[in-house]
Amino acid sequence: MKTIAQFLTGIIMLWSSMVLSAGTQYDLRVDGLSCPFCAYGIEKKLKKTKGVDAVEIDLEQGVVVVNTEEGVKLSEAQFKQLVKDAGFTLRSMTEKPLP
Amino acid sequence: MNRPKIFLIRLLILAAAIILLGSCAWFPAAQESPYRLAASWGEKGNGPGQFNEPTGIAVGSREVFVSDARNGRIQVFDFNGQYIRQFGRSDEESSELGRPMNLTIANDELYVADYWNDRIQVYALDGTYRRSIGTSGSGPGEFNAPGGVAVAANGDLYVVDFYNQRVQQLRADGSFIRQWGMTGEIGIRAGQFNYPTDVALAEDNTLYVADGYNDRVQVFDQNGDFSHKWGGPFAMNIFGPFNGWFATVTSIAVGPQGNIFVADFYNDRVQKFTPQGTFLTDFGTEPAGPAHTTIAVAVSDDGTVFVADYDRHRVQKWETN
Repeated sequence: MKTIAQFLTGIIMLWSSMVLSAGTQYDLRVDGLSCPFCAYGIEKKLKKTKGVDAVEIDLEQGVVVVNTEEGVKLSEAQFKQLVKDAGFTLRSMTEKPLP
Repeated sequence: MNRPKIFLIRLLILAAAIILLGSCAWFPAAQESPYRLAASWGEKGNGPGQFNEPTGIAVGSREVFVSDARNGRIQVFDFNGQYIRQFGRSDEESSELGRPMNLTIANDELYVADYWNDRIQVYALDGTYRRSIGTSGSGPGEFNAPGGVAVAANGDLYVVDFYNQRVQQLRADGSFIRQWGMTGEIGIRAGQFNYPTDVALAEDNTLYVADGYNDRVQVFDQNGDFSHKWGGPFAMNIFGPFNGWFATVTSIAVGPQGNIFVADFYNDRVQKFTPQGTFLTDFGTEPAGPAHTTIAVAVSDDGTVFVADYDRHRVQKWETN
């Protein structure tokens, strides 16, 4: 019985640490990504932003996917400014916790 | 006849004349035959001869140099597409490439506009790293995403500074001489820029600037004074698919006869002009999508045109018919 309880406790602790350590994925919908001068510009700006872990351009969807580091959240206003600095307009944004 | 009627007729004649003149000037017919696609090579990947978004191209006497942007390297081929060597990937921060863009060969050296590291990287043609020019910033001699570079016979550099909305002229050591455009300010008037992407120098030091999002070419004479511009009606950011119009200019090259070759990215074609901007012909291929094909252009001494095909991750070789 004690072994089962220890096992369950371990599973719960592992699960909770995974949840706490996860960052956030932001999907930014931006027009004009098919030109590399633009796409690289926005990647460059975002990658220089503190707390940003990874940036990928999804040309098919016209979306910039931004993953942040553990515990880092960025606001829509921050993204709007970053995207504006790169010469774009942020059309919409969604976010979800990283698995 | 009464006066209003005369006025109306005159107005109609004037409008017809404007339309007629406009149709000649703004919708020119081709004066040369299109080029023929003679060969193409490459596919998406990171091995030798593969590309992950080619974005720049330059031609030496016997070799083609290609910016392989997402692979952070330059690949070199012979004129038939045979892979020869690569360079730019390095453990040394000073010699590595971030996102190489438009290229230029001058004085047996390759000049690479490194968009991510905000500098011009210079290599010997065998790939040996020589030096770096510039740092990040918006001051004199600094860059914010350089897109292309041209080099004069005396070693002066002309660097397109994309996010700083300017073209800088620098000495060979990187020290500032002068600039065109207002730093960080987009403009549509002569001498102003809207995300410029590339430059080319003619033999007489006439400077041709690919004024990217103004959808035009701007030309400055040997003294640096504005000379002329072209690209759609009035060359004022009116884009379109017609002869002599552009939809984002991403690269520019001077051919052996002094003609100007322009990569017209969103129209998926190269357009060829006289130095004065008279349209001669165009050629290109349709994209598979979602990107576009014709991102960069270079011309060899014999007039063969090489194109970096961004969409299909390959190089195209075009010849006259």
